[in-house]
Amino acid sequence: MTTGAEAIDLLTALEGLGEQVRDLSFPLEVADVDAARRGSREITDQLDDYVLPRLRRMDAPVLAVVGGPTGAGKSTLVNSLVGQRVSAAGVLRPTTRSAILAYHPAEGAWFENRRVLASLGRTTVASSDPANLQLVPIPSMPAGLAVLDAPDVDSIVTANRELATQLLAAADMWLFVTTAARYADAVPWEFLRVAVTRGTAVAIVLNRIAPDAVEDVRAHLATMLTEQGLGRAPLFVVHETTPVDAMLASGAVEPIRQWLHGIADDAAVRTAVVRHTLLGAVRSLGPRVFLLAAASDTQAETAARLRREVGQAYDDALARVDDSSADGSLLRGEVLARWQAFVGTGELTRALESKVGRLRDRVTSSAHGKPQPGDELAEALETGLEALVRAAADQAADHVGAAWRDDPAGSVLVGDHDLRRSSPELPEATRQAIREWQDGVLDLVRRQGQGKQTTARYLAFGLNGLGLLLMIVVLAQTGSQGAGEVAGGGTALSQKILEAVLGDQVVRGMAASARADLHRRVAHLLDGERRRFLDRLADLAIREDAGPALRAAVQDLEDAR
Amino acid sequence: MSRVDRRLNGRHRRVDLPMMLAALDESVEALDGRADPKLLARARSVAGRAGERLHLSGEHTVVALAGSTGSGKSSLFNALSGSELSPVGVRRPTTSKAYACVWGVEGATRLVQWLGVPRRQTAWQHGAVVEDQSDLDGLVLLDLPDHDSTVMDHRLEVDRLVELVDLFIWVVDPQKYADKVLHERYLRRLTGHAAVTVVLLNQIDTLNPLAAAECVDDLRRLVALDGLRRAHVLTCSARTGAGLDDVHTLVASAVTRRQASNDRLVADVESVIYTLAPSVSLEAKPDVSAGRAELVEALSAAAGVPVIAGAVERAWRRRADGTLGWPVTRWIRTWRPDPLRRLQLPGDARREMRSMLRSSIPEPAPVQQAQVETAVRRLCDGAAGELPPRWQQAVRRSAGANGNEVRDALDAAVVVTDLGVDRTPLWWRVGSSVQWLVTAAAVLGGAWLLLFAVGSDLGLADISMPSWHGVALPTAMLVGGVLLGALLAVLGRWVGRAGAVARRTRAESRLRAGIESVADRLVIAPVEAELERHERARVALSRATGE
Repeated sequence: MTTGAEAIDLLTALEGLGEQVRDLSFPLEVADVDAARRGSREITDQLDDYVLPRLRRMDAPVLAVVGGPTGAGKSTLVNSLVGQRVSAAGVLRPTTRSAILAYHPAEGAWFENRRVLASLGRTTVASSDPANLQLVPIPSMPAGLAVLDAPDVDSIVTANRELATQLLAAADMWLFVTTAARYADAVPWEFLRVAVTRGTAVAIVLNRIAPDAVEDVRAHLATMLTEQGLGRAPLFVVHETTPVDAMLASGAVEPIRQWLHGIADDAAVRTAVVRHTLLGAVRSLGPRVFLLAAASDTQAETAARLRREVGQAYDDALARVDDSSADGSLLRGEVLARWQAFVGTGELTRALESKVGRLRDRVTSSAHGKPQPGDELAEALETGLEALVRAAADQAADHVGAAWRDDPAGSVLVGDHDLRRSSPELPEATRQAIREWQDGVLDLVRRQGQGKQTTARYLAFGLNGLGLLLMIVVLAQTGSQGAGEVAGGGTALSQKILEAVLGDQVVRGMAASARADLHRRVAHLLDGERRRFLDRLADLAIREDAGPALRAAVQDLEDAR
Repeated sequence: MSRVDRRLNGRHRRVDLPMMLAALDESVEALDGRADPKLLARARSVAGRAGERLHLSGEHTVVALAGSTGSGKSSLFNALSGSELSPVGVRRPTTSKAYACVWGVEGATRLVQWLGVPRRQTAWQHGAVVEDQSDLDGLVLLDLPDHDSTVMDHRLEVDRLVELVDLFIWVVDPQKYADKVLHERYLRRLTGHAAVTVVLLNQIDTLNPLAAAECVDDLRRLVALDGLRRAHVLTCSARTGAGLDDVHTLVASAVTRRQASNDRLVADVESVIYTLAPSVSLEAKPDVSAGRAELVEALSAAAGVPVIAGAVERAWRRRADGTLGWPVTRWIRTWRPDPLRRLQLPGDARREMRSMLRSSIPEPAPVQQAQVETAVRRLCDGAAGELPPRWQQAVRRSAGANGNEVRDALDAAVVVTDLGVDRTPLWWRVGSSVQWLVTAAAVLGGAWLLLFAVGSDLGLADISMPSWHGVALPTAMLVGGVLLGALLAVLGRWVGRAGAVARRTRAESRLRAGIESVADRLVIAPVEAELERHERARVALSRATGE
């Protein structure tokens, strides 16, 4: 880090890491996702506000941020330190709502541009907008050190807490102010622990303390600091006095002022402070980014799990349709009745007898407006298949809907959308697909029957008759289990007739290809259903490789250090 | 009556707490499995605690001093109790255990035990030990540990006791009154408990009067933002004693009225009910009857009613033709198979039922099952579509639980239904006899003619044929017999057709009745039970609000 080349390596590695972290999104609501979102924001802020600018310009002035709980007297302390009323003090909590930066006029160039805290607007007048940084050049300040008055870390105003977190992450040094009533509060200590893990240089100011309590409290606080690994942090005590014009008597803060001047005036000390904090920050990045990588993995895994849930349910649905449409069980109930009307009393036997019979049937049925048994059979097959597909799709949607709703991440994805049912267009789409399949089967028979179309047998059954027979064969392909004797017999009969007309090799091939066609069409229908869920996941654009990429970036950083 | 006292009394509202609790219990029971388990667990614990508190001394009022570390809870406790029980100090956090001080010992022992404050941390003020404290008779004053220090145990103890006390006094100070922890973790969760919440700004002596007024206004604003606009906000100084009289008056008034415990429990129950309210639908008028016709229709189709009815019609026609048709040609009809037999539904259903049930209860037919599933889904959507998701799920579960049963029951219903084709009407036999008679006459006439022709050929006899109105009798028998037979056959065919349509309609309505009873028993009834349960939960919840 001391030589230019190493610094550039480090800078490149950090910039790469910054890019990776900036790109992260944690869209799925899983356990600890809030921590990950916060963590990635904090790392981004810390890199942009502190590590990168500091690494680019090691000679910039030291930035000392005065932070602490609300009501600890931070503003009064800053006023007293710089010897001028720069920050409003008061009894209303929280008092300070935007950041105020006091520095020597000669150092203005460092802060007026957006080298640090780029996300904050610059202003020179008092403001209560947390998006603004108020700049106050003060001639009596030492060069080489700027003091920033931050809002509280624990008040009810959320914007304050967030701004304080961001400012503290940008500090070369923390001046942590607490009071006799506050020093054991949990929230500020969490911030101090963060400072320890990030290696930030910290000094503690115990403010507003009654003289008779000094010994007791100071000893207790020192013990607590040691326990938390801050035993070597300087500890200043400021007695409780009534401030005049928002400033303490100058004697009260003299030790702190001298300490600050000591740092500002000595370039070596300054560099030491800066390097201490900077190295600490860089060192802390690795473990924190690993946490983000783990969280990214969780996101990817959760997405995969949700996707698996969908895949499983719809694969099952497809299998269900496949099974029930191949084992002959479709040839029962209404379909069976239609089949028997077709075979037993109607078209088929008469077709076997003579073409005249068929013609006569046509004439009579058209005169009576009665549908042909063959048409009825085709329609019954269509209705049966449609019912199968629809129920399978409904069941899958129900299953996935319930599974997603039970999953915190999934329930957010589902939201108010009613995905528990198959889509309303499905029944019509299914009918369409099945009609197309039937057309395809007829087409198949037509093509395979090429050259046989003039044979007496072919003519006896006609294209439609043979098509229906082929459908029956396809729908009872996997045997008669559950198909019942009659249906099985029907299938055998169909098969025999077809083989007699077209040859058994051809029939087997046709059945297989008709079967595959049906499978393909049903799969396509169910894919549409499946996508209603998968699209929601895809919209989130979860990067599967985010975890490994983060780990690689950390590795680069380790190599550069 | 002081200002404070008036405000307390002004908000007073008497509600029947045991009735509310009973209603809450009932709604929780009805909501079991139909609402967020976490909410239900919370409701159960609130109801349980309220029941416990009701059985403990109602003569005592538990008042808790709660607040941040260093706000002066212990100093206030000691000042109010006139004791030095709770240690006071500058080291934070000072109080690590809850302390109690009881005025009026009678009946308080079990209450203090229930609160979980050990005896050595409890002071007992027998009678009016301290002057001017007779009005505090019945007070149990608690000094809680802090809720914001680094010591986790303190927070847990506060969280436990906050659930049990009757009246809260949140002690804050000018440094800490705007802390996130106080407002977000505690005050906001007590929304609805304004009647039993007091926010006390201590250490007011550290501010000048102007600043103090500003500070109190700001505190009031924050407390209102927490949803506790009607809570009391007071100021005091435990060190100088300023404002302590107001605190004393307020506490004494609460103790005298003996209403705080009731108010607190009511607020608890109300807040629980408020969180449970979205678990039921107030507007939805779930109604299963709208989808019933459609369900029956779908089930009928699934059970094959149209096919069976058609078969019945054809079977009847076939029989009519067989019985009333012209005997010469009627035997041809019997070549065709009986349509009912093809459906394995013989006419005499009762006799064959047993063997049917034993031998051939059909295996699940996917199409039929699919149709039933879809019909049931639609029914549930129609009936419960506007209910909260968990109820919809419950309704679907209740209707779908019987999926296989529905299918089997449909088959059984079809099998046992008397299709009304096993008994042929008596006049058919008469008709049939007439047909035979007419045919016999024709045959006889024919034979006679034949005999006559043969006889005259052979010249055997010169038998004159009897004539009737100038027509030879045998000729009349033959021609009349054939004509009459054909006429009767046509007539019989017409009558048979009409009868077949009637039989079809009857069979249809009988089958439908059977299917309706299946639908009612296995789908509608469970759904209705679930909807009734929802109604019960809804009514109980609205009753639990005490309105």
